[in-house]
Amino acid sequence: MNNKIIPKIIPWIIPIGTVIVWQIVSANEWVSTRLVPAPFTVLTSFYHLVMSGELFYHMEISLARALIGLLIGGGIGFILGIANGLSKFSYLFTDTSLQMVRNIPNLALIPLVIIWFGIDEGAKVFLVAIGVMFPIYINTLHGIKNIDAGFIEMGKMYGLKGWALFKEILLPGALPSIFVGLRYALGIMWITLIVAETIATSRGVGYLAMTAQQFMQSDIILITIILYALFGKVADLIAQWGERKALRWHKSYIK
Amino acid sequence: MGVPSLMEKAVINDEAVQIHLQQIDKSFGEKTVLNNLSLEIESGEFVVIVGKSGSGKSTLLRLVAGLEEATSGQITFNDKSIKDSKSSATMMYQDSRLLPWKTVLNNVGLGLKGNWKDQAEKTLDLVGLLSFKDQWPSTLSGGQQQRVALARALVHKPSLLLLDEPLSALDALTRMDMQNLIEKLWLSQGFTALLVTHDVREAVKLADRIILIEDGDITLNIKNTGKRPREFSDVSLVQMEKKILEKIMKS
Repeated sequence: MNNKIIPKIIPWIIPIGTVIVWQIVSANEWVSTRLVPAPFTVLTSFYHLVMSGELFYHMEISLARALIGLLIGGGIGFILGIANGLSKFSYLFTDTSLQMVRNIPNLALIPLVIIWFGIDEGAKVFLVAIGVMFPIYINTLHGIKNIDAGFIEMGKMYGLKGWALFKEILLPGALPSIFVGLRYALGIMWITLIVAETIATSRGVGYLAMTAQQFMQSDIILITIILYALFGKVADLIAQWGERKALRWHKSYIK
Repeated sequence: MGVPSLMEKAVINDEAVQIHLQQIDKSFGEKTVLNNLSLEIESGEFVVIVGKSGSGKSTLLRLVAGLEEATSGQITFNDKSIKDSKSSATMMYQDSRLLPWKTVLNNVGLGLKGNWKDQAEKTLDLVGLLSFKDQWPSTLSGGQQQRVALARALVHKPSLLLLDEPLSALDALTRMDMQNLIEKLWLSQGFTALLVTHDVREAVKLADRIILIEDGDITLNIKNTGKRPREFSDVSLVQMEKKILEKIMKS
């Protein structure tokens, strides 16, 4: 029995121990609670943020920016990846340009984006879309190009062509690689959003952190950091779940 | 589509194609693979092509499958060009080429339209794997995967079955099983069969006619009228095998 429980406890010793030490340090005021608020203070602030509805007001818009940016950028990256994987002309026509743009860090575009879009929603969605587009593009392209040519030949022999060939062979064959791209894109999505929201905005989790900074509310800053960590983790869990569902056949998932 | 127990050809398949290859040349760049090769294959005949690696035997099969085009010469099915003939040729490869993202049954049904499930299940039953229909291909053994590939080829009711060394990756016992199965299904369905192999014994066991290809042309063309099923206790079969092997080794 001990052998089953102990491995479950060990991973939590450091996190829980940290919180306990943190609480002790703050309670004794060994460091200023203005800089490092006690865990209990953080929890209380969190409770107030939730109850006042303020937290959801900011979370709502952050999630919307992330999701819309992901859909637009991911969609474009996916379509370009498919097109360039299937059509030699399309590949020659667009790939070099895409690779050039890809090498620009999307956050370097912030000054330009502010001139173009001002500080409204368009700016953030644009930055997220640009950031997620490339990993999805590259991995979709890679997935299509790496499909065993024998499968395609066999499919044609059995009368598959056009949409049927795409649906039965090309898309499922590329899917493992597309999921790698998606999970990578999710990481970029949050990073972009965090930076974009701290620059110029009037709503969102990043805005919450920036205002808290001005009022020296380190407890709220900590809450926003934890929120971003949770967002990232939940998004990855959802992607993993989708991957498991879609790739049930894959050798990594067959029990 | 029952399987007869008697080992005589039970069916005359009207659809089975007759193939005529006339003066076929095939080269890839500078390299000539097939050189002025002519061959006639009867409707319903089981022809086995043997030869060393690089002799051009697989290229010949790919030409008949329509996967490559001859540099010159003509191939006809029932006196029509491959493109005009409505023959349904299917193929088995050395690797099973089962799609890993489809269940066994959905692999067999690949490319079928309409209400195909019954037919696919029946064919899967013929190769003895109906109970595996909902499994993923990767959970099957190599021999089972080739059985599924055989079912996939047969469910289309082919007029021509092309077999590109389909048994060469299997262990000896599984291979014998598969040879018997292929023979049985050929006898009961009567399609024309064209098998490429480097296993001379396999050729002698299965063929109505054995073709040896060396350096891009036919150097032996032997009729084999031995009664089926063939056992290698039969002296004439052993002699035939020896004769072919000697010819291969000499060159």
